[in-house]
This record gives sequence, structure tokens and C-alpha cells, in this order.
Amino acid sequence: MPMPAPFVLADPESTDIWAVANTPILWIFAIGVFVVIFVQTFLYIRAARAAAPGIEMPMREIKESFRAGAVASVGPSLAVVLVAIALLALFGTPAVLVRIGLIGSAATETASAGIAAGTMGAELGADSYTQQVFAVAFMAMSLSGGMWMLCTLILTPILRKGSRTLGKRNPAVMALVPAAALLGAFSMLAVAETGKSSLHLILVLISAGVMGLCLLIAKLLSVRWLREWALGFAILITLFVAYLLHTPVAA
Amino acid sequence: MTSAHTASAVSADAAMDRFETQTGRYGAWTMIAGLLLSLAGPFYLFFFTDLGLTWPMILTAFLAVAATFGVFWIVEPVTYFPILGPAAMYQAFMIGNISNKLLPAAIVAQSSIGAKPGTRRGNIAAVLAICGAATVHLASLLLFVGVLGTWLVSRIPADLIEVARLYILPSLMGAVLVQAIVSMKQLRPTVIAIALALILQFAVVPFAPAVGMFATAIVVVLSIVLSLIVRKRIGNGDAGSTDTEEVLVN
Repeated sequence: MPMPAPFVLADPESTDIWAVANTPILWIFAIGVFVVIFVQTFLYIRAARAAAPGIEMPMREIKESFRAGAVASVGPSLAVVLVAIALLALFGTPAVLVRIGLIGSAATETASAGIAAGTMGAELGADSYTQQVFAVAFMAMSLSGGMWMLCTLILTPILRKGSRTLGKRNPAVMALVPAAALLGAFSMLAVAETGKSSLHLILVLISAGVMGLCLLIAKLLSVRWLREWALGFAILITLFVAYLLHTPVAA
Repeated sequence: MTSAHTASAVSADAAMDRFETQTGRYGAWTMIAGLLLSLAGPFYLFFFTDLGLTWPMILTAFLAVAATFGVFWIVEPVTYFPILGPAAMYQAFMIGNISNKLLPAAIVAQSSIGAKPGTRRGNIAAVLAICGAATVHLASLLLFVGVLGTWLVSRIPADLIEVARLYILPSLMGAVLVQAIVSMKQLRPTVIAIALALILQFAVVPFAPAVGMFATAIVVVLSIVLSLIVRKRIGNGDAGSTDTEEVLVN
């Protein structure tokens, strides 16, 4: 192999993953991805503020949309954090931040890493999971994630053109499509969870019930903030029930 | 329709056009930067460490992953486009965790200001909600995983992490579905979507497990098609323009 870098003590056979996975250079690239997303967020907010007067959307609604998105994501974000922490041992902090925290999601990326390790005759977290296997798994996750981004880059302009043509011809159709797509996606995602175990079924129902109750109270007593916090409450309460009902043996 | 009305509709179109062009440009460039940075790490390990990595190793691993997920590289962007709209696409596929975080945030924001998805206000609200979600998400990741992660990993009880890992999706999806149904207020698409999901889960997947991986995409496409077929047609011809107004005001 080419020149050995001075500050990486790499050993293909070693199972000390963190020695390689927490290298300063990897940290720098990971923080670079964070910076890029911050820049993107900033530019998007600026563009949205500039567009708002033109579509007669008051600034109040701009602020409220941002805040609602922020509040609604507190629960899911903390859940992602918990899962990410659980995976630190396998991938080190920089890879977990970029692959699990951003870009991908825990389920896909862990599966990709597992498949990649399998091609090396190794298993994640086992004695066969060496620094070399980690590097191959990290590479495979990143390439696969890269393909997602590449397809998004290629497909978005094409889909935009298509939906514009359709939108001009029949605006009513274009209003119905997003709603139907959204309902379809979450119906399937929720129903798929109910099939995994009886506890999963109970949890989906509790989660749905808490949300329904929150929205009802919010409407009856016109408590606005409750609509934004409802998702967080639903996740926390349901996870608490899961913690009580869960039998560790099953895991 | 008054001329003032038409003028404001034109300027609204222009504003929205400018917004989509701007975000398209910003979005594409930031996404390319994110793509390169995310690949820089593993390629650094490949070229500059003596881990004995070879091209055949990488290629084999990549092809194995591609065999499992390759279809989703295309299916997911196409599935989420109608929900997200062009601007948010570049955000969503870089920030990740789309169905478990970004879409719920967008739905909450839209229902909070009473905007429907697919409308101008709805699209702007979704973009801003994702900005809000991204801010919270990046901050919490940096703090709890980046800074405190290695310390927390020894402090948080293992069974708590295990419960979160196993049961986060059911805890989230029930609530999000209810929120989506309530904020869409579209009876027919709701009934169609849930019926399709139940049919797929209990009548199709048990007999053809391979379908399970594509279940979401299938239900999304069929929900769109069937909803269009059975939609309420508020007259034809002339009614078209009032229909548009209604869509935009919602």
C-alpha cells in the first residue's frame, strides 16, 4: 500500500476499531458534512424568507413553521441520538455521526455494514471484525449512501419538470398527489410495525392514541403549543410503556 | 376573477419560481459538497493507511450492498418527491432520517399554520420545518454524540438504549399516521391508503415476503392512483379556476 500516514497506527488484523475510526482526519471530514448542512439550512431559510411576501405568507408563519419543525423533531432527534450512541462501539464517532446521524438511517446503514462485513467473512462486533473489515464496511456504507445522493441529484430536476407540466395541466391533481403519497407512506410504515410482534402492535396503538388525545385536547381547549409537542409526548410515553412491558430475554 | 387577483397570482408564481431556482442551485451544490466530504473519509483510509485494502475487496462489498439497496437509490427519491417537493429533496437526502424525522416535522408545521402539502404555503412551510428539524438534529448530534457520546455510552443503562433501538419506530409511526390523517382531512385517500397497507401487510407479504421491502413504494403509488380515480370532481371546465384558488388558499 502507499505511504503509511504518520498519525494513523493502522493494523489490518487489530480489533481495536476506535484506533482507526476515531482518527482526527475522519473527524474533520465528519464536521465538514455538518458545516455543509448548516450552510444549506441558512441559504434555504434566506430563500424562503425572500419568497414569503410574494406568495402572501406572513413572516409570522415563516417563524412558526421553523419553530414547529424544530419542536417536532426533538423527540425523533433524541431517539436517533440514543441509537447512534449504541452504535459508537462498532463504527467510532465520525462514521456514526455522518452515516447514522446524518445522510442515512440506523437501520439501512447497519444493514449495509453487516452485508459488507459478510463479504469479508466477518461479523460486526465479533472477533472477526478487524480494522480492515471496518474500513471496508465504512467504504461500502459511504458508497451506497453516495449513490442515494447521486440519484437525488439526477432525479430531482427531472421530477420537477414532470410535476410542473402536470401541475399546469391539472392543479387539482397536483394538490391531491402529495396528500395521497404521504398517507400511503405512513399507513404502510405504521402497519408494517404492527406485524412485528404483539408488543409492536400495542405500541403503535398507544402512540396513535396519545397523538389523537393531544390533538383533541389542543382543539377543544385551543392549546396551540400542544400540537407541536404532541409528537414528542407520544414517543416518550410509548417508549416508557415499551420499557415497562419489554422482556430483555426476547432481545 | 379580478385583475388584481390575477396579478397577485402571477407574482406568486414568479416568487415561487425564484425560490425553486435558488434552492435548486444551493441544494445541488451543497449536496455535491456533502457527497464528496462523506466519501473523503473512507477514501482517506483506503489510500493513506496500511490496512491492506484492495479494490476487489471494496468492489465485492459494494456490489453486495447494491444488490440489497440498489433499487432504493432510485425508488426512494421517486417515492418522496411528491411529498417533499423539489427544494426539500436536497435537504432530505443529505440530512437523512426522512420518514422518522423530517416528514413528521413537515406535517406538524403544515398543520400548525393550516397549510396543505403541495400548495405554495405548504411547500415553504415544509422547507422551513426541515430547516428547524435540521438545526435541532445537528445540535443534538454534535452535543450528545460528538462531544458527550463516548462518555454517555458508559453512563446510559444498556437496556434503555436497547428499548429505544427496538421500539422507536412503532412509538413514532402510530402518532405520525394520526397526525397525517388529521392534518390532511382527506377522507377518501385516508381510507384507500390504510386499506392498501392492511392488504399488503396481511394478504400479500405473508405469501410473497420479497414484496415486503417495496411495500411502502407500492402503497404510495397505488394510493396516488386510486385517490385520483375516486376523487371528487367539482364539475369540469369552468370550475377549473375556482378549483385552483381553493387549492392555493388551503
